[in-house]
Amino acid sequence: MTGYIARRLLLLVPVLFGVTLVVFGVMSLVPGDPALAILGPYATPERLADLRLALGLDRPWPARYLLWLGNLAHGDLGRSVSLEQPVLDAVLGRLGPTLLLAGSALLLGTLLGLAAGLLAALRHNRITDRLVTLAVLIGISLPSFWLGLLLILLFAVWLGWLPASGMSRVWLAGTSLADLLRHLLLPTLSLALVAAGVIGRIARAAAIDVLAADPIRLCRARGIAEPRILLVHGLKAVLARTMPVIGLQAGFLIGGAVYIETIFQWPGLGRMLVDAIAARDLLLVQGGVLLLATAYVLVNLAADLLQHGLDRRTRAA
Amino acid sequence: MSDSSDKPERSLVQRLFAHSGALAGCVLLALVLLPALAAPLLPLADPALTDPAQRMLPPFSRGLWSSHLANHPLGTDHLGRDLLSRLVWGAGSSIAVGALATLLAALVGSVIGIAAGWSGRLGDALLMRGIDVLMAFPYLLLALAIVAALGPGLTNAMIAIALANLPFFARAVRGAVLDIRHQDYIAAARLAGHRGPRIVLGEVLPNLAPTVLVLMTTTLGWMVLETAGLSFLGLGAQPPQADLGSMLGEGREFLTTYPLQAVLPGLLILILVIGINLLGDALRDLLDPRMIGLEPSSRAMRMTSTEPHRQQENATPRADADERSALLSVRGLAVKVPSMANISSDPADAVHGLDFDIAPGERVGLVGESGSGKTLTALALLRLLPPPAQLRGSIRFDGTELLSLGNSALRSLRGRRIAYVPQEPLTALDPLFRVGRQLDETLQAHTEASARDRNAGIDALIAKVGLRRVPGLRGRLPHELSGGQRQRVAIAMALAHGPDLLIADEATTALDVTVQQEIIDLLLSVCIQDARTLLFVSHDLALVARLCQRVLVMYAGRLVEDAPIDRLLAAPAHPYTAALLACSPELGRPNKPLAAIPGQAPMPGQAGRGCPFAPRCPRAQAACDHAEPVLAALDQAHRVRCLFPLGARL
Repeated sequence: MTGYIARRLLLLVPVLFGVTLVVFGVMSLVPGDPALAILGPYATPERLADLRLALGLDRPWPARYLLWLGNLAHGDLGRSVSLEQPVLDAVLGRLGPTLLLAGSALLLGTLLGLAAGLLAALRHNRITDRLVTLAVLIGISLPSFWLGLLLILLFAVWLGWLPASGMSRVWLAGTSLADLLRHLLLPTLSLALVAAGVIGRIARAAAIDVLAADPIRLCRARGIAEPRILLVHGLKAVLARTMPVIGLQAGFLIGGAVYIETIFQWPGLGRMLVDAIAARDLLLVQGGVLLLATAYVLVNLAADLLQHGLDRRTRAA
Repeated sequence: MSDSSDKPERSLVQRLFAHSGALAGCVLLALVLLPALAAPLLPLADPALTDPAQRMLPPFSRGLWSSHLANHPLGTDHLGRDLLSRLVWGAGSSIAVGALATLLAALVGSVIGIAAGWSGRLGDALLMRGIDVLMAFPYLLLALAIVAALGPGLTNAMIAIALANLPFFARAVRGAVLDIRHQDYIAAARLAGHRGPRIVLGEVLPNLAPTVLVLMTTTLGWMVLETAGLSFLGLGAQPPQADLGSMLGEGREFLTTYPLQAVLPGLLILILVIGINLLGDALRDLLDPRMIGLEPSSRAMRMTSTEPHRQQENATPRADADERSALLSVRGLAVKVPSMANISSDPADAVHGLDFDIAPGERVGLVGESGSGKTLTALALLRLLPPPAQLRGSIRFDGTELLSLGNSALRSLRGRRIAYVPQEPLTALDPLFRVGRQLDETLQAHTEASARDRNAGIDALIAKVGLRRVPGLRGRLPHELSGGQRQRVAIAMALAHGPDLLIADEATTALDVTVQQEIIDLLLSVCIQDARTLLFVSHDLALVARLCQRVLVMYAGRLVEDAPIDRLLAAPAHPYTAALLACSPELGRPNKPLAAIPGQAPMPGQAGRGCPFAPRCPRAQAACDHAEPVLAALDQAHRVRCLFPLGARL
């Protein structure tokens, strides 16, 4: 186990290094003068000259990258033009709500997906299986931003049961847990149903395999009770097989959070990114993307470790 | 879409139309695609024509004050533009942008994939590590970063989505190229003196087409969704340009007052993507050879095991006489298993009317070639065959009819009174649970014993199967044990509740010869010590001879001979048994050369009217082809299914 963790952590280094390289490289796609793009057309010549020096624009790109990486190591991601505060402070302040949203959606999506997959496999080729397959197809084809609007229309506008916005206030004021959950429910549902579709599809295929395989047959031959066979042996095997997809799904959820945060006025990184892109605040975009990508890499690491915990036969690639 | 499915041979198109999912996908897709393609020809209002006087009209309203009396079948948007017309045109640009992004991703991704797959180790490693890093980004985030750098706009959004999807293509294509590289025809092309580029163009590209095509249809759905998403965020289509995503984004502003403007574009996206995904799944089913046979048709699966009824056709006097004293009494047992390959036809019986008894304390071998139905029989006795298999006949265990037994009564028999030792414990023991836990749960299944008692029970079981000296056995996972140790663990599980009947299914097949002997000795000792009854399924007559007192020989799903082991070895009555003996190096006559049985056993349903062994039988006569012989008693202890048994006076 420790050997596996060590190998897996070692693999993290080149990936994170590559992530910084890509983030840096994408920003060099900006047409024209980066300093002008960052500061906007109304910047004074002095400020432009300062920023060009700070970004090392007079030097070749490897030197520029090393300079940027050095600043990054010191926690210096530059200053956001639109928010007028250091990028690091801005993105860290927005990380919590995004992790809350994506995390609860991942949890709910996994639970729903696994339950649907197991149920469909148990009733393989019967009507329940058909219905689950149809629901899964709709789930993976559903635009989450549209689903979010429909949920708002139904639960916030027509029924008036749940709020469609206002998380910023709740997050800052730290009101009751019940209030937090009320605000969390609709955004989580909008994100989770799509994830449940993808996870449900994989879980169904895995469960059909697992339930027909020898270990389950030997469990039955030993006279172990059927609920225990399914919930202990079946579920663990299905979970071990589905875990890589659950890890990947975290990436789709972080992306999907951009839509959902925009729709529900969520005070997270996703909405900040959209605002920053509209305001051409490139350093803020860079910082936000870097942070979210790092979070995703770590989530995938966690998924790999969990999978190894479930099934010790897996090896680090 | 129909363009892409036209390329491969005609049969694919025909098969697509026979596929219900593909058909539904085509219908949904056509629903959105055809109007979008025909938009310039349709009598639609100008999608960009604004008319503030006619804002947000409900569906089916006519223009009120306008002179041209425009029809608005779906109403108008917040600027008075015709919603239907905007939907049709918007769908067109959504599909076009999604398709272009897919094409771009496929093209660039394939080039990278081919380069990685075809270049040496260093080039491959460099390219694939780069791809890995791109895949380390959350899917939409990379696209967002690219749009942020390039600036908003439909073209930039398309490029961004294509770049974000490129890794999927590069990976799949590289894998396919590596596969193809190792095929014989590539070596042949090299030998023929063709150079790399020519081989890539002539041999590799055509073979990549299915991979790329399947990936294109499966990713097209996402790409349509994500381009719509970028437009929804205001980063894609810019006014006056419009696609479904930007319409949805605009409609969002008026969600409370005029929901239709947001609901309709989203619904259209949903229908479009469902159609694409259905078609993509169908194409994958049809083009990906690994998927074939994984989704058997519902017809065959809906069959359940039928009511037991007694089939007396082959019962012999001897069997009936023993029925009362037997521990296990099988009558007319038939097993029908729908095969995956030939699912539409009516399945044939894989096991035919078996009749046999096993007395308490008896050790019986069940012998036959692979495919003879012996493992099916073993599983049928415990009713462990999955639902599509159908059982007929009767299995009585200690007076209880197993075929009509309810699930909970069956469960209380399994593992407690009838235990099963699996064929391959590496796959049969749950690979994810430690040995101790699996033993403990086996004990828990039928007793209310305390954890302490179970603990002592596990120790006793471990000692009984000779594993006491394996350090830390309980904490190990099955793959951390040797094959022999695993089989001993499986036997310990089977012995947990002191069963009356032990069914061992090819329990030694996966082991090497010396370990085989040890396991046989173990089975022998646990049976003799506790007067346990054993049914030992094997293809190896020599092992059966060491372990069993009586042998049942199966051929093509039928019982062909039933005899005490000494009689069977000394004077086999069925020519098939004799042939089996001649094939065995241990049991065959030492002076004779080893024989092999010519020909092959018939598949279920393929046997003719006569004796199924007749085509391979050296003693066959004309009569053998006309009617199948019955299992007839030669004497009290010996039955054979042959018209001209060996040793009989003809």
